[in-house]
Amino acid sequence: MSNVAISVVKVGDVLMVTMPPDPDDRTVTALQEDTLQAMERFEARGLVLDISSVETLDSFFARTVAETGRMVALMGGRTIIVGMRPSVALTATQLGLTLGGAATALDADHALACLRDAH
Amino acid sequence: MVTETKARSSGAITLKEWESRKSFVGFTDDDVALLREVRPTADGCVEEIVKEIYARFMKYDEARALFHNETILNNSKEALRRSFRGLTGGEYGEGYLLDRIEFGRGHQRLGMSLRWSMAEYSIYLQMLLPRIHRALEKDSAKAMRALLAVIKIVSLDKELTSTAYFLAAEEVISRQAREILELSTPVIQIWEGIIVAPLIGTLDSERTQQFMERLLEKVVETNSPVALIDITGVPAIDTQTARHLVECITAVRLLGAQAILTGVRPSIAQTLVHLGIDLPQVTTRPSLRSGLQMGLDVLGFQLQRANSHQLAATAAAAP
Repeated sequence: MSNVAISVVKVGDVLMVTMPPDPDDRTVTALQEDTLQAMERFEARGLVLDISSVETLDSFFARTVAETGRMVALMGGRTIIVGMRPSVALTATQLGLTLGGAATALDADHALACLRDAH
Repeated sequence: MVTETKARSSGAITLKEWESRKSFVGFTDDDVALLREVRPTADGCVEEIVKEIYARFMKYDEARALFHNETILNNSKEALRRSFRGLTGGEYGEGYLLDRIEFGRGHQRLGMSLRWSMAEYSIYLQMLLPRIHRALEKDSAKAMRALLAVIKIVSLDKELTSTAYFLAAEEVISRQAREILELSTPVIQIWEGIIVAPLIGTLDSERTQQFMERLLEKVVETNSPVALIDITGVPAIDTQTARHLVECITAVRLLGAQAILTGVRPSIAQTLVHLGIDLPQVTTRPSLRSGLQMGLDVLGFQLQRANSHQLAATAAAAP
């Protein structure tokens, strides 16, 4: 069980959000709130969500991430999820969990490049 | 019964099955009593029998090769002694069963072909039975019953040894099958940012799992945005394989890379359409070559032919 604060860092006009390992439901909910607040504060046009510390993906997490992506889009931002672990990808695929069509990238570098190009 | 579980752990033979084998062969308590009675006679010649068997082994290259060092030779002899003593040991319950299974496995591990173990019994009988006959010559009816008792236990023992032998062989086979599985799904990085996973054969659930794990790990390990899944070597595609392929592609996408299905030959394309499988959102290419070309495009590479003057020079230099 972790109640660690989620890291939200602004890099240029992009938000970098890093999930702590093993997030509990409360942390996952906080993800959405913190992200949207930061979106409002910085008027970011992109969100890079780093989940490389997350070892297991449950349906609540997947759902929240998908929702957050849609909310961020409504606030004018584009979401890219990075660092998914192979084991997590395997499980997600087998369980049929999607990220609501959110984009993915191998790492933060690729994600930032992608967001730069889109502009 | 507690003993039921212990015997089950020895493989496929439960105590219950062992009892049923004994009853089929007609091995009764009378036989047990007779075997106990001839035990001294049998124990008395075990050493001689083992000596004779190993003397004969040494005459055959194949057998001799198995006992290539002193330790193995002595351990085998001791195991055989114990095994023969057990035949007339008087106890034919769970302990006996487990012992036999272990003996059979030992043979398989040693690499000894089953024919040698089976033949050992023959030599045992040839040397022991005349002695029992002589020892009980005063009562020929009893002698006959004693001989039959030995024959019965030997035949039961042969069954057990063979079963155990095959169980051990099966374990080897499934281990090898796993290794083959691993060998046949390599994932190779062929360019900066591009990996290729050539699939040969069909994709069943187990193989897909293996394949996906390797593929995804390679994507992360090499940080490659492009993964070419080449199915040129897949002879036929069915619904299951198609579904598994889609799983692979989806998983790769989740990691943030792009999977391109290459080597989709006419026959595969035909089958997929006839099966009504659309492979939506899957990027495909007819050959690995075109897949590579696309991968390079995605990564922003441009290939230019080198100066043709240089090309000619290379051609001339080659023998």
